[in-house]
Amino acid sequence: MNGLSRQLNVIDYSLSSLWRRRFKSISVMVVFAAVIFLLASFQMTTKALTQAASRLLVMAPEITIQKMRAGRQEPIPVAYQKQLAGIFGIRRITPRVWGYYFNETHAANLTVIGVDPRLMPLGEKLASAIDTGRLPGDHEVVLGQGAEELLGGNRIISLFRPDLSLKPLTVVGRFRPATDLLTYDTLFLPPDDARDLFLLPPELATDLCVTVANPSEVDTIAKKIAALLPGTRVLTRGQIEKTYHAVFGWRSGFASVCLLTALTSFIIFAWDKASGLTPEERREIGILKIVGWQTADVILLRFWEGVIVALLSFVAGYTLAYVHVAFFDAGLFRPIMLGWSVLHPRLRLSPGVELSDVLLVLCLTVVPYLAATVVPAWRAAIIRADSALN
Amino acid sequence: MRPAVIFMLLVGALLLADGLLALHQRARRAENDAEAGVLRVTVSGLGLTDLCLATEARYTRHPAVSDPMAPFMDHPGALEHFPTGSFWARPEAWR
Repeated sequence: MNGLSRQLNVIDYSLSSLWRRRFKSISVMVVFAAVIFLLASFQMTTKALTQAASRLLVMAPEITIQKMRAGRQEPIPVAYQKQLAGIFGIRRITPRVWGYYFNETHAANLTVIGVDPRLMPLGEKLASAIDTGRLPGDHEVVLGQGAEELLGGNRIISLFRPDLSLKPLTVVGRFRPATDLLTYDTLFLPPDDARDLFLLPPELATDLCVTVANPSEVDTIAKKIAALLPGTRVLTRGQIEKTYHAVFGWRSGFASVCLLTALTSFIIFAWDKASGLTPEERREIGILKIVGWQTADVILLRFWEGVIVALLSFVAGYTLAYVHVAFFDAGLFRPIMLGWSVLHPRLRLSPGVELSDVLLVLCLTVVPYLAATVVPAWRAAIIRADSALN
Repeated sequence: MRPAVIFMLLVGALLLADGLLALHQRARRAENDAEAGVLRVTVSGLGLTDLCLATEARYTRHPAVSDPMAPFMDHPGALEHFPTGSFWARPEAWR
């Protein structure tokens, strides 16, 4: 009997053996596949979001200047622009007015952005991001998809100023659904209207966006700005990108606590299932020993049983994880990712599966499982035939 | 049919499904690449710094431009109470 045929026969026997104990085998597989599904789903979701952030935020402002007081951000004087005029390498400084508008009817937070696109890089192409309509003029607004649905699709909307007087705005456009990941909750209007809405004096803005002529000089210019304007926080594009790697990192509290707890529970479960030999199993091994099976053959049988369970669970769990993330927008994680948000943007995640990701999940799940079952397999294999049959 | 063959057919069917999903992934990526231009114009034209994911609190809507201690700064001794705050990793200096 050659090696391959021997292995096939052992696999046949392993499958028959698993089928005889099908309730136990299927329960292990379901739990194992669920653990792999959770780990792989979380990995795919965080990776897809991190990649989306890296891909899109590469066009974020090169430098953002915020004014800080008592550890909090406060409006920044527009006159700061003049103090920065002497820094060589700055192409343009654009004041932005932005903030949040709390819609009490729906308990939803909306993001209000007041910026003059003519003063921003690629601003002349911004009309291409608007699905229906045009860029906003005076007393006009363009809404994100979620904001429009929330405000009821009216042509004229009225928002409350801080003093509870009403500010009417005409809706002249809607952002394309493809931009939901950026603009879903957004109200985009001219800076003067945003100032009027927030009752912000004309000499103040929320922050200043700095465009730099040579991208390799961003850090140097940021340091010069910080030295010239004490009491401000200077954020560079690099820091913004880094934030997203940290926010969705594996070390985040949720991932490490929930998923590693699930994995540990599964390993304990697998150990318990594999080590608890039933009288029928002891009897089966005894009979195999009597008909001529060696200890090595029984270990091989147990090894194949472990591989079959692990392989099926892994492929099924990983496949379901992709379906969950790509087709259902990671629906199980959405309540955690979105929290108490009223607006739920469509994510349209594109989970990129690479060999390194598969190997990582394989090492975190299959290897501990096989390790947890190897000692019980050896204990089963060294049973004496006569003691098993008594 | 011997059990090993049935098992291999089952694994083969799952791998075939994975192959179809890989095709879906390529199509989705191509769609995303086609939309990348508009998204970059949006980010650049509006000067956006963050993705619109969690809109429940200012520091989860705009984590990149919020303070690192923002979740705990609502009042002295405040604890983090927004669910999406659990996505914050520890500060880099602590790792």
